[in-house]
Amino acid sequence: MIVLDEVTKIFPGAREPAVDRVSFQVTEGNICVFVGPSGCGKTTILRMINRLEEPTDGDIYIKGERVKDKHVNADELRREIGYVIQQVGLLPHQTVEQNVALVPRLLKWPADKIRSRVAELLQMVGLDPQEISHKYPYQLSGGMMQRVGVARALAADPPIMLMDEPFGAVDPIVRERLQDEFLRLQKELKKTICFVTHDINEAIKMGDHIVILAAGKLIQHGTPREILTAPANDFVKDLIGENKEIKLLELTRAAELVKPQAELPPALSSNGCCVQSIDPVQRALEIMLKENSDTVGVRDGDELIGAISWAAIKEYINAINANI
Amino acid sequence: MELGEGLLRWFVLWFVNFYDEQLGFIDYIIQSWEQIVDYTANHFLLVFIVMFFSLIFWISIGLLISRYDSLATGAFSVGNLLFCIPSISLFGIFITIPMLGLGRTSAALALILYAMMPMVRNVYRGIKSVDWGIIDAARGMGMTARQILFRVQIPIALPVIFAGIRITTVMITGMAAVATFIGERNLGRLIHHGIARESSDMIIAGAILVSFIALLLDYLLGKIERRIASPGLRYDHQDEIT
Repeated sequence: MIVLDEVTKIFPGAREPAVDRVSFQVTEGNICVFVGPSGCGKTTILRMINRLEEPTDGDIYIKGERVKDKHVNADELRREIGYVIQQVGLLPHQTVEQNVALVPRLLKWPADKIRSRVAELLQMVGLDPQEISHKYPYQLSGGMMQRVGVARALAADPPIMLMDEPFGAVDPIVRERLQDEFLRLQKELKKTICFVTHDINEAIKMGDHIVILAAGKLIQHGTPREILTAPANDFVKDLIGENKEIKLLELTRAAELVKPQAELPPALSSNGCCVQSIDPVQRALEIMLKENSDTVGVRDGDELIGAISWAAIKEYINAINANI
Repeated sequence: MELGEGLLRWFVLWFVNFYDEQLGFIDYIIQSWEQIVDYTANHFLLVFIVMFFSLIFWISIGLLISRYDSLATGAFSVGNLLFCIPSISLFGIFITIPMLGLGRTSAALALILYAMMPMVRNVYRGIKSVDWGIIDAARGMGMTARQILFRVQIPIALPVIFAGIRITTVMITGMAAVATFIGERNLGRLIHHGIARESSDMIIAGAILVSFIALLLDYLLGKIERRIASPGLRYDHQDEIT
């Protein structure tokens, strides 16, 4: 869907390139997370995709077309790409409704179509249109502003979204909730998303694919599991941090480690020692610790399909560690 | 008690005396009503002409230098320089220019030049104060440079631009009085003649009427501002509005 080919960006007056011959692709319907320390070029790459910056060298393709050739001017290209930034950048002199309607108005949609689309979007991001439509941005909390920012980016239903630390400016509890809601939304919308963050945990949680950058160079890219189980070098290992096993368990679904079991100890099924098969294994581990139990039941909906044991988790982690 | 009583006595005496002497200007205004109406109309007219052209010129210049930053320092230097010339000598310079001479054209041109500094500076400052994140988001959404200027930057800068317009109007109303020396028949003439004739009634009548016009115009502009500036900005720019 999006292909970068040997893209280089040297800012005027800078000695080192901000982005140095970076190539990778983003698959349609995936969330691709660019992660790295500040100044690694992740934001610059994002901004080159919608031509807020022009590459010094190399090409960027969207659906096989060169971004440079796709439209005569960059403004039209940008109207087809959703854009969310950390500062949100809501227009302070316009109401929430007008803010969300920004791109549809630029595209000259009819007024009643805009109105119904705005209400639909606000509902989609978990806001009450009745209550919030006529408020001004200064009357909103940080989390609400960020939701409005996402709604605005989705307004004209762009196939591609660029998000630059979209949940960076809110407190950790709200951030977690926004992430969860966004992932749920993405399951329905299936947008192709480029997502910038400096937080590896956010990258692992949000990403279908992770691109790790440092000093303008691409260090490693792959699925979160590939990054965790086979870090390319010490830089990636440091970035992942100490608790990669826990992070792995967060990525692994209970369904992967479940062993069918004909019958469970009655205590297990009765007192809530169960997880859903799509839950992360980490959740099973938490229940084990809390309930002081060595096994946890796994359900698929209401049906019990088996159990995860402490031994199975240990075995799984040891097998991965042996491979590294 | 002694002291308090003494103070009170003194105050009452002062009060009676003050009104006896100083309220003479009201009598004066009533006496020369027709002339004062004429002067006031001229005063308003001059301020109106000056503000009309100032808005056109200086807002354009302010927008221009906010786009082309290299011009900004130059424009500010010119504005400051003009602002530093004593008004009476700037009027003097203009009447020596052929074709202009004594009268309204010279007066208006000099005052328009004075208006440059506060107007241009506020327009520039207003446009530049728009948060970078807002502009970036607007660009990222696909707004053109012109749309960003007219739909984002100017509306957001409006309270600051208006502050400049209000300051300038008040300032020009005061300075217009000085134009009496180059032949303007406005409220400055009351002050000028009052000084010449040692008539405090005339001076006070002139001064009070000029201040009243300044306050009135400021109030009206404040009303207009409330009407056209977005309520969403009141929170942001509260300090600049007052």
